[in-house]
Amino acid sequence: MGLPLFDSGTDPGPSFIAFLNEATPDSVFRGVAEELAHATTVVSLRFADGVVMVGDRQATAGYIAERDVRKISAADRYCALAISGTAATGLEFIRIAQLSFEHYEKMTGRLLSLEGKANYLSPLIYRTTTTTPFVVVPMLAGYDTARKQGRIFRYDRIGGCYEQPNFDVIGSGTPFAESTLRLGFREGMTKDEAINLAALAVYEAGDNDPSTGGPDFVRNIFPMIVTVTENGFEELAFEETSERFRIINQRRTASGGRAEGDLR
Amino acid sequence: MSMSYYVAPEQMIRDKAEFAQKGIARGRSLIAAVYQAGVVVVAENPSVSLNKVSEIYDRIAFAGVGKYNEYDRLREGGIRWADQTGFTYSREDVDARALANYYAQHIGDMFTDGAKPLEVEVLVIQLASAQQASKIYHVAFEGTITDEPQFAVIGGESELIRARVAEQFDPAASFSEQIQHCVTALSGAERTLPVQDLEIARLEDIGERRTFKRLTDAEVSEILAS
Repeated sequence: MGLPLFDSGTDPGPSFIAFLNEATPDSVFRGVAEELAHATTVVSLRFADGVVMVGDRQATAGYIAERDVRKISAADRYCALAISGTAATGLEFIRIAQLSFEHYEKMTGRLLSLEGKANYLSPLIYRTTTTTPFVVVPMLAGYDTARKQGRIFRYDRIGGCYEQPNFDVIGSGTPFAESTLRLGFREGMTKDEAINLAALAVYEAGDNDPSTGGPDFVRNIFPMIVTVTENGFEELAFEETSERFRIINQRRTASGGRAEGDLR
Repeated sequence: MSMSYYVAPEQMIRDKAEFAQKGIARGRSLIAAVYQAGVVVVAENPSVSLNKVSEIYDRIAFAGVGKYNEYDRLREGGIRWADQTGFTYSREDVDARALANYYAQHIGDMFTDGAKPLEVEVLVIQLASAQQASKIYHVAFEGTITDEPQFAVIGGESELIRARVAEQFDPAASFSEQIQHCVTALSGAERTLPVQDLEIARLEDIGERRTFKRLTDAEVSEILAS
């Protein structure tokens, strides 16, 4: 592999995908068909200073394939990217997205806008869906440094991108998590309130959806909680994450399994 | 039938070298220097947006002098090569020496076979890791590659500036001391460089994957005033 130099006619510019197509056709998504892990619940929620994203840790392939999958990644400093669907293509998808955003930044000397990142993912999803039997549906949530607010983008499986005003959910636990968010969401929530509601939504999904993993007090594995604000992408420490789920669980135990009270 | 006339190879190389050197000498210079915790690049560059120094990869930086369009194309090629190599293999497999070699091959090829030699000189800078010390690879206009363990100077008047840097050079100097030393060496005794004419960037481990940082004018002013 020599130094990839192009003349001005064929130069792919700062897009890593365009460059890969120019340099090595077919190298990006070469899938291998096997029994693949899938299923998820990831929620994202906008609050006053940014967004929070919470995702379960379980991968299912007819049985529980993995208990500690990290489905949320920092696509770059100011955005979180979560995946649902086939694990293999999903992980590849995250690698490509992270690399593409950094590649753009290094080539041009400036960060891609949040909307630019959101749009960039659409043809990637379309291509995965149309060229492989595997489905990847990501969720992008980040902090828009120009508008100074958190923003959430949802996708359908052929790459349609729809900005969500308040919250979004992906994965098999969607009905339960979404109902929780729908009932609990208020405009201008604090970070603390938003984290608690998002955690509760994933707790509900884990409680009701067989393919979503709730907090695992036996193995000490808890859903991931991340926030993106003007300070960038931050993941909550293990102690804080486990404590929040412990509180939800204690309340649920005290009420005999019913969703009751202030923090249900 | 057209007659091709004979030019002695020595003459041709001399002419090309002179042509490339003239182009490079027209531009301002830059210094890359090792300091206590990393490597800093100090460039004289009046342009705010047309950078001479740039990030290539997690621990690799690029610096070029001469014709902007020519070295910027090399910079882009370097970023593509690095990102593709890291994507195909692993991030740790992206090696500055390999990149410097590719630059040397390309610049050397252009010197011997191109319609005109490239009027550029570039540095590929590798930040020290547990396995190796920091290195500065210098690729000259005809493709000669050298590695410098402590500092390198490229651009017009590079010999003069190199002598000034070498005087009392301390690889264990602090970040701000080394910047002050480099700025003094770049400007010389007769003039002072305004902050807007300086482009300064560094590679340093601060616990993050990416080690490259470009200093803002405010940060540069603060360091020079201290």
